[in-house]
Amino acid sequence: MRTTISIVAAAIVATASGLLSIAISAQSPATQPPDFSGVYRPINAVGPPGAGRDGPRAGGPPAPAPGQPLPPPTRTAPLSDGSQGRSPTAPQLTPEYLARWQAMSKSRVAGSSESDNTAKCLPPGMPAMMNMAYGMEVMQTKDKITFFSELNDALRRVYLDGRKPTPAILDDPTYAGYSTGRWEGDTLVVETVALRDNTYIEGFTPHSDQMTVKERIRFTSPGILEDRITVTDPKALVKPWETVKTYRKMTTPPEDQLREFACAEGIEHAR
Amino acid sequence: MKTRVLVSLAALAALQLGEVPAVSHHSNVAFAVETVLTATGTVKEWQWSNPHTWLIVAVDDGKGGTVQWAMEGRAPGVLLRAGWSRSVLKAGDKVTVHYSPSKVGSKVGMIARVTLSDGKVLPNAPPGD
Repeated sequence: MRTTISIVAAAIVATASGLLSIAISAQSPATQPPDFSGVYRPINAVGPPGAGRDGPRAGGPPAPAPGQPLPPPTRTAPLSDGSQGRSPTAPQLTPEYLARWQAMSKSRVAGSSESDNTAKCLPPGMPAMMNMAYGMEVMQTKDKITFFSELNDALRRVYLDGRKPTPAILDDPTYAGYSTGRWEGDTLVVETVALRDNTYIEGFTPHSDQMTVKERIRFTSPGILEDRITVTDPKALVKPWETVKTYRKMTTPPEDQLREFACAEGIEHAR
Repeated sequence: MKTRVLVSLAALAALQLGEVPAVSHHSNVAFAVETVLTATGTVKEWQWSNPHTWLIVAVDDGKGGTVQWAMEGRAPGVLLRAGWSRSVLKAGDKVTVHYSPSKVGSKVGMIARVTLSDGKVLPNAPPGD
């Protein structure tokens, strides 16, 4: 009799702990952050007309039926010299920074690459590098996410272990800046500070050394990664500027691999 | 004016040597991107290099002679995905190049598309890009 009771009691305990472990495993996917690791290509790298972007690009109407000759292209790239003015969706600049943009536009319209950092093989910097025009690779661990851009082999790290920028970090601005992130459910919330002032927000929109960038990064559907970017700069911008970048995850070779960029190869003194 | 003449002479000298012009662009602001012209000629050199590729072409001048042009293409990584390769072009190949001309009038263009003698078309962007 006693033996029977013991067996029943053991069975009840076993069942209860089994239920508990089922409950835990059902809960864990929600508490586990998603894994963004992988190679992605941008869905909207070019942005609205007039936004500008570096590099030649296809233009013209879609391809005709097979066997038919292609119509001549109508242009090679979007205008990136500002000759059509600023896009209504571009960051709104204060008078001082608008004057800087206008001076650069004049130089670009004349054909000068002087204000084009990418042409000098400098890193595009944040937030422009998140255009990821030629593709990006994301490498994720529990404590850090690394974003790598094929264009200019540019790299940024987002620390997830709770560290904060120190005075020494803030005193040493870089192109990619210093990024810290935390998970809000399935969304990675990132703040970037310590950015150099000689990069561009996008196209050749200038900014000050007071610029900071906030991002909310998440999967909107399987394999589609979205980065909602908010740029704040009390000196250069009339109001914070928001933009959304979207990327598609590549899963089959060779699309799921990036190629070396080695920009210095094309620089005069390096040859 | 004198500076411009010197720059043009330097560019021409570089072309004579089969080199990429001294004025390396890597930036589309150097080109009239809304104009696309066509040139037919023979490949002299295909440089599979970053940040941009270069196609040196002896272009028919319509008078029985040729003029050397340097056509700037996109980066190898992008062109790979558009169907190009390091060996897709070689010296002696007959090509038709659609290009945007340099704003300063030098014999330099930015490639929109290249058609090979067998009809194969090399676009400057991957499909759907």
